Amino acid sequence: MSVRLPSVNMSSENIAVLKVQDVLLVSVPPDPDDPTVSALQERVLEAMTRHDARGLVLDISTVQTLDSFFARVVTETVQMVALMGGRTVVAGMRPSVAVIATQLGLTLGHTETALDVDRAFERLRGPAPGSPAARPIPHGPR
Amino acid sequence: MTAMNPKAFPLAELAGQPQSPPEAAFHSASGGELPITSESDIIATRQAVRNAAAALGFGLIDVTRIVTAASELTRNIYVYAGSGIVRWRSVAKAGLVGLELTFEDHGPGIPDVQKAMEPGFTTGRGMGLGLPGSKRLMDEMTIQSAAGQGTTIEIRKWLR
Repeated sequence: MSVRLPSVNMSSENIAVLKVQDVLLVSVPPDPDDPTVSALQERVLEAMTRHDARGLVLDISTVQTLDSFFARVVTETVQMVALMGGRTVVAGMRPSVAVIATQLGLTLGHTETALDVDRAFERLRGPAPGSPAARPIPHGPR
Repeated sequence: MTAMNPKAFPLAELAGQPQSPPEAAFHSASGGELPITSESDIIATRQAVRNAAAALGFGLIDVTRIVTAASELTRNIYVYAGSGIVRWRSVAKAGLVGLELTFEDHGPGIPDVQKAMEPGFTTGRGMGLGLPGSKRLMDEMTIQSAAGQGTTIEIRKWLR
């Protein structure tokens, strides 16, 4: 059976905030503890200003457990980034996580989502949903 | 919930076991306990419960349901009571095998359990989804709580 891993106290240094053109890409670690989730929010907001980014892709493809605390911090972060003038796409939610999030009643508010990081970047190249220009824009073959 | 299509493999192996695992099985894959005293114990509980549920034969979706409920209820212990204990063990009922988790603390207690089960109700900073959400994720849930004395919550999920 699976081996019980020692509980690692992750620090915010383990969270990589990458800048890809004018978008930040943040990969959430697989099983983040509460302080890590909170640290992630701080790092993201700070990086938004420092890099003058216009968007954020939050990659949660390795996350196995999305509970109400994590969901609240994600929803809050999306709102904070929006207040700063940025746009967030949450990418890569696992099927099992989507099933449980729905059953638990977690909706992530009106957060934009994408199947994977590629599609998230694609989304950010287009207009925000609800904006007057929100119509499909061709951006060449994927 | 009604029982149907129990999985052959884990049932055949476990149906003959006594309802309460012997002390020797205390920290086996499907039984054990963890004291909750710090935030990092939430992660430790999630890992231990994930292993226990997988060892019993639960599929990925059910394992995720159980782990998410455990995460919510363990965080409640830490946030509202400061400390407590989480226990897990395999249980059997009417030819079914399941996993039972107990969350016990001696914190302030829940003054109005019915109110606490309403989605969106919270006395803390959370979203008020922990208790009602955990109930939806599991097959059974019982709450015993008395103001000033603490709270004991039992949740069960049956293999089918």
